Parts: sequence; C-alpha cells; structure tokens
Amino acid sequence: MNQHTYFLNNLDTVTVSYRHRKLSAQVLFPSTLSGMRPLIALHGISRDTDALMRQFAPEAERTGRIIVIPHFRANHWPVFQRPTPNARPDRALLSLLDALALHYPGFDGPVDLFGYSGGAQLAHRTAMLYPHRFADLHLGSAGWYCLPDTNVPYPYGLAPAEGGRANWRHCKLAMLPAFLNRTITVYAGDRDIERDDALRQNEQVDGAQGHTRFERAQTYVQALRDAATQYGLAPQASFVTLPGCQHDFESCATQAGLAYLVAGADVEPAALAS
Amino acid sequence: MTATLKAVPEDAKWAFSTRRVNRNDVKAMDTDFAAAKPGDLILARVEKINQHRRVQLTTGRPSDLFAGDMIVAACGARYAPDQFEGVAEIDPEGADLLAGGGCIGRMRLHDERRKVSTRVIPVGRLLGASGAPVNLQDYAIPSQPDSHNIPVIAVVGTAMNSGKTLATAQLALGLRRAGWRVGAVKATGTGAFGDFNEYTDTGAHYVADFTDAGMVTTYLEPLDRIKDGIRDLLGTAAHKGCEIVVMEVADGLFQKETAELLADDWFKSRISGLVFACGDAVAAAGGAAALKKNGLTPDIMTGIVSCSPMATQEAIAATGIRVLTKGALADPAEATVLAVNAGAGKQLAAS
Repeated sequence: MNQHTYFLNNLDTVTVSYRHRKLSAQVLFPSTLSGMRPLIALHGISRDTDALMRQFAPEAERTGRIIVIPHFRANHWPVFQRPTPNARPDRALLSLLDALALHYPGFDGPVDLFGYSGGAQLAHRTAMLYPHRFADLHLGSAGWYCLPDTNVPYPYGLAPAEGGRANWRHCKLAMLPAFLNRTITVYAGDRDIERDDALRQNEQVDGAQGHTRFERAQTYVQALRDAATQYGLAPQASFVTLPGCQHDFESCATQAGLAYLVAGADVEPAALAS
Repeated sequence: MTATLKAVPEDAKWAFSTRRVNRNDVKAMDTDFAAAKPGDLILARVEKINQHRRVQLTTGRPSDLFAGDMIVAACGARYAPDQFEGVAEIDPEGADLLAGGGCIGRMRLHDERRKVSTRVIPVGRLLGASGAPVNLQDYAIPSQPDSHNIPVIAVVGTAMNSGKTLATAQLALGLRRAGWRVGAVKATGTGAFGDFNEYTDTGAHYVADFTDAGMVTTYLEPLDRIKDGIRDLLGTAAHKGCEIVVMEVADGLFQKETAELLADDWFKSRISGLVFACGDAVAAAGGAAALKKNGLTPDIMTGIVSCSPMATQEAIAATGIRVLTKGALADPAEATVLAVNAGAGKQLAAS
C-alpha cells in the first residue's frame, strides 16, 4: 500500500509515487465546470509538459473540463511509454486518478485520455489494461501500437510471441472487447513521415504497421475497426489527418487544432452549464 | 433454572465472534447448558490453558489468557483439520475453547501434533430481557435481497493453509488498486479475526463473514441457512455499492459444507469466477478433477504451488490452467482480467 502514497502540494499540482518513482501532474481547473469528463493529456518522449500546458489551458477554459497533465520525469521514468517489469507507469496513472478523485470532481468515473507520440503509446496500452477507468481515447502519432490483431505477434499485435511477456498479452487480449467498445480517435500529420531515430524500425513493425507514424496510425485504426467488427461491436475508431503537420505536438496544435479537437471541437462555450 | 445476573464482569473478555452483540441486551443468565444452541452466548471461566493461549477480542487484538479469566464466547462447533473437530455442546463440568475467535463446545478430535483444547468452566448462558438466550443470530445483518446479481469470484482450496485467505486478500487488493469497488467475504468457516483483518487491510470497501450473518460457525449448519447467509452478505455488499465480491470458502473441497456448496446449483450459478488454491502440482490436478465433477473449472490457480516455478509449470502442464502468484493477484491488470471475466463492468463490452 505504501507503493501508492500521494500528497498534495497545492491546488494545482498532485504528486503520487509508485515504488519510489514519483509522478507529478498539473491540474488545469477551469473557472466554470461544464460537467464534461476530465481529460488526462500525456506528453511524448520530449516530456514537454509546457507545450501541453500552453495548448490545453485555453481548452480547459473553453470546454469547462478539468485537464490534467502528468509529467513522467526522466530520472524517475527512463521508460514511461509502456509497462515493464521494472516500471509501471500504468499503475502510477491509476494512483494519480485515485489521488485526483479525492480533490476534484469527475474522477470517480472513467476519464478521457489523450497521449501524443510516446504518450499515445502509454495511453492505448493503459486503456487496454484498464478499460473501466477510461472513456474516449485520443492518440496522436504514436511510434507504434499494440494492434488488436491475434495474427500479429506480441508486442506489435496480440498473437503469442517467442519470449514475449505472456501476462501482458493475456491481459490485453482478455480486455479487448471492453477496450474496443469506446470512441478512439487517432491523429497524425500528413507530413509525419520521417523515419527518425526515435521511431522503432524493424522488419516486424514495419511489415505489420507501416514505415511511418502516418501509415501506422491508419493501420491501427483499421485494425481497431476490424477487431470491433469481429467482436460484434460497432466500430468506433476513426482517423484524423492533421494537414501539413510533422511530428511535433505544438505545431499540430497550432497548425491543425489538435488540442481543440481533443478537448472537444463540438463544444461551444455558450452551451456550457453554469 | 434462571438466576438474576448482577452483571457480566467488567473485565470479561468478549470474543471476536460476539462483536455485533449489544451488551446492554444481556439481562440475566441461566445454567441450562443442555439447552444451549449454536450461537448462544456463554460466560465461562478459563480453567487450563492448552492449545489456545489467547482469545481474539472484539476490538481486533488478541488477548493473552490466564487461568481464571472470564470470557464471553458463542456456543458452536468447529472443523479445523489441523486443530480440532468439535460440536456445539456445553458440558457444565467443563467445555472446550474450540477457536480463539470465540467458539465454545465439545472437542471430539484433534490433530495429534497439537495440544488439546484450552479448557473452560461454563458459568452461565446469557439471556435477554425476554428470558430467551442471547444468540448471534439476533444481531445478524439485516436480510438483503441478492437482487443486484453482483459478480462473485469464489476462492476455494485443497485444505486449510493452502493459500485461500492470502489469495482472497491479494485479489481484493488488486481489484481495489484497479479502481473497482470490491467486497471481501468469507462464506464459511469458524469465526476468527485473522481472515477478517487480512481482508480489511487490503482496503476492500466491504468486509464481512458468516458471523455477520449470525453464525459463529457454518460447520454442521444446514445448507439452506449457509446459503441464506451468503445471500445476505452478497446483498449487503451490493447495497453498499460494491461492483464485485471475492468470496472465500473455507477448508478443502471435500469438507462437508464446502462439498455441498460446490455441488449446489444455486451456488454454482451464483459464482461467476473461481480461484483454486493448492500446495503442489498433484493437488492442482486432483483439485481440478474434483471440481470438474461439479462442472466447475478454475479461472486460475494459486497458493503455495505458485511459489515454485517448477511446481507452477507442472501444474499448468497437468491442468492447462494459469497459475498466478500472490503478487500477480494483487496486480491491478491481472485482477481486472478476473473481474471482467467474472462479469464486472458488463456494460464495458456491451454492443
């Protein structure tokens, strides 16, 4: 139980720890709450929470929803994009939700989850493990995905893999219908086509998912829709092209309105409840 | 034969099994011990300390026993293969403390590796204002309709000390960590605070056992009464907002009441998940086969067997059933799989 201690520094920052790895989060609290679900926004490997703050602060105010921006600091979380035996960012996020529920409204039920790049990797993997804790999922330009496809070996899909982490695969496979039964929106810039050093590149992932983040995002959406159909669910995954955007969150937000789309494009300030 | 009771001595040690009793209801006592029924409260004086050197108090701590101590416990039976077997009979010449949680009766059998029971001299049977015995049933939780059909993961095992309680507690912990509102319930056994406290320590939202349903023990109780108790416990868990219950069934698969429950159609329809705790691979295979005769297949196996990777491999090879360690049960990801497979959060995958 001591693995999940938390403490409140002030009204805007919440810190939790999991096995001595701290996770702090900034809470963007609007002046008027609309009743919309809270949104968690996860940074990528640049860990640029300032950019997220800049882009999501106006959205919190516009939509009247609480937006929380966790910061996985490099010294505590050298790897945060996925759960590993040694680091469990998924469990840190659960602890964060529990801590937020003690102080803010809306956290006693599912919340919406957004992640960009490495944050999108963590977002979809965490939602696969705990579908009951998350509602709408927004994924921006992940480097690669865990496809809901039992023909693709884990971790790129959910088929058994030699030496793979059988327990993770089992959990994700078991949760698949619950995971698929939600709105999942995947975003990528149409110029996000660089095969940079940060992009995982090997025969398996290139073959199963595509060569670029732009291609892989579309592959993932199609796999989500196919899997939903196989389970008798209405496909709820969609792909959104961010015109003219490369692999950079802030330019995606300023050029193509990514934060606006994630926070709720169809929300009009005038419609907000007082 | 009824005598006015001045008062139960202030320093009497009220055992854990009496925790729901309103002590102000005690107005008199008699010595008609031949008429004592299971659940009747007995005031007794400790005569000789043997196996049980402590009694578990209502406050949740153990209290050392000394010859001459006065205790209040319930008349009841006991089935504990590594300790005693006994029945709910009070011999006015001397009775047995069958369980430290507060169960007095007559010991019939004992494990030869153990001492015999601690002996007590009955002083009186406690009576209420109406002159009727004060009985645990009078303080049971209100009957609750089990209408919510809350998902239930049952935990059964090969025997005492196979790891059932640890499995129940660790799974409750994992579920709580995952954000589920979880109840931890002990369906059968003899009242004691060890399991109750272990459940409580996990932060489970609702913790209860059969003593909350008015039974000091389920041993030798009619099956229908045990089932009514389970219904009340599950109904109360649902009433308190739990989304899932982890429910331990005491002793081994072949113990009388456990075997009856596992063969009972209502019980089998009521549980939606099953965890089997065992000590080794042979026990795993034997237990799985025994459960199969009742049409039951464990979702996972755990217990002592899970401590050894080799035994785990053997058990999986013999049964095809996954084996989880206590750490895995406490992992919110694994616990969520068990919860969702048991039917928790049904709306999650509803098309």
